[in-house]
Amino acid sequence: MGEVIVVTSGKGGVGKTTTTANIGTGLSLKGKSVVLVDADIGLRNLDVVMGLENRIVYDLVDVVEGVCRQRQALIKDKRYTNLYLLPAAQTKDKNAVNPEQMQKLVGDLSEEFDYVILDCPAGIEQGFKNAIAGANKAIVVTTPEVSAVRDADRIIGLLEASGLRNPMLIINRIKMEMVKRGDMMNIDDMIDILAIDLLGVVPDDDMIVVSTNRGEPAIAIEQSLAGQAYRNIVRRIMGEDIPFMNFESDDGFFKRMARLFGLNKKKQ
Amino acid sequence: MAENAVIFKGTKEGLYIILKEEMDLNTIKYNLERKIKPSKRFFEGAKVMNFKGKELTKEEFDELREVMEQEYGMTVVGDYSDKKHFVQEERSAVKRTEMLEQLPFEYVYKGEALIVRTTLRSGQLIQYKGNVVVIGDVNPGAHIKAAGSVIILGTVRGIIHAGASGDYGAFIAAYKMQPSQLRIGDIITRSPDGMGSEPENPEIALVKQGMIVVEPYLKNR
Repeated sequence: MGEVIVVTSGKGGVGKTTTTANIGTGLSLKGKSVVLVDADIGLRNLDVVMGLENRIVYDLVDVVEGVCRQRQALIKDKRYTNLYLLPAAQTKDKNAVNPEQMQKLVGDLSEEFDYVILDCPAGIEQGFKNAIAGANKAIVVTTPEVSAVRDADRIIGLLEASGLRNPMLIINRIKMEMVKRGDMMNIDDMIDILAIDLLGVVPDDDMIVVSTNRGEPAIAIEQSLAGQAYRNIVRRIMGEDIPFMNFESDDGFFKRMARLFGLNKKKQ
Repeated sequence: MAENAVIFKGTKEGLYIILKEEMDLNTIKYNLERKIKPSKRFFEGAKVMNFKGKELTKEEFDELREVMEQEYGMTVVGDYSDKKHFVQEERSAVKRTEMLEQLPFEYVYKGEALIVRTTLRSGQLIQYKGNVVVIGDVNPGAHIKAAGSVIILGTVRGIIHAGASGDYGAFIAAYKMQPSQLRIGDIITRSPDGMGSEPENPEIALVKQGMIVVEPYLKNR
């Protein structure tokens, strides 16, 4: 039985799809067998980010409705071994499937793969309920904005209510220089509110835009900072204990020493 | 001068005046005057159901009644024989009121409490007909509505509504008070605009003179 991880956020545009693509690619680079499931029926774009959109024949709804076999709908990524994508239907909507069907589909997939990663749609309606139905782990993505944190908080509440305890947090698109200037929410404040374990912090990186448009996940790009952050996240998912990178935690050596000697209390 | 030589106690039927046991009649009269004079207009026309506490003779009772009616324009409804009933019952009751008066807030002991042992997140609503105690934080977008008081052992960032059925005596207490809004009864207040500094002490929100006042409840820190 593989792990089923849902990537969710509540708010749109915080980087769920990018995160899904990068984590999936990263896990397959580590030699795991991975299937990415796009649960955003009607607004699919995981296929675009993965650069696989012109190879779609069957989709998730076809599998659920029995139009095709599961194996037929899975798209094998040509660049990475053991990485597959189950695309969403674009011509249907979220009500085309129900949570029970998703549960069965995801259950079948988890028999075959080490990791099933679900890209959850924004919002808290049917699509969200479908996406979390079969999951046994959750990753909540947020950006350092009050609105995104508010939505993440709501999502964590809903996840806990449906039995997905201890979701993990990824803070995406942080700009350390803005945080230092006090113009952006800092990591401690966000963790203070959300009160869940931090899985990783991804810095704002122009490379992501480039890689998304080219359909090549940034995790494979050696010199990308965001790629490095995703590589660390992948290793943490696999159970390794990786220290947070410099930009991931805003207290450097001196601050930590100062705190050790009780010189500076928490700021503000 | 002894405080509380006379105590006015409002009930559904009307006013009771509780007289302290060891006071003689002159002290009582003096204290009544001291209490009523400053707000004579308020007391005028009030209905006094009866006197409680100190045992009175028939003459003393009549004298007090005359003072109340002639000087302050109040009416005394009960009569001496009713008063006698109270005496026994009051003996034990006085003890109880004394004990209650030592409690920090009048409303602490009132009603049942719902205890929530989790962090309340955005979109979650707690409604309860009594007091609510939260062991955890109340995040922005979360809402607590309680007929009684609300106590939060954590940080408040959401909306708290205490005394939701109109009880202005309800209060809201928290380790760290940073709410988006506080309501007590039908009074609404919100945090001042702009990012204020974080409170350093636990605070309590109470209704004072028709306004919600937030202040530290550990004053000596």
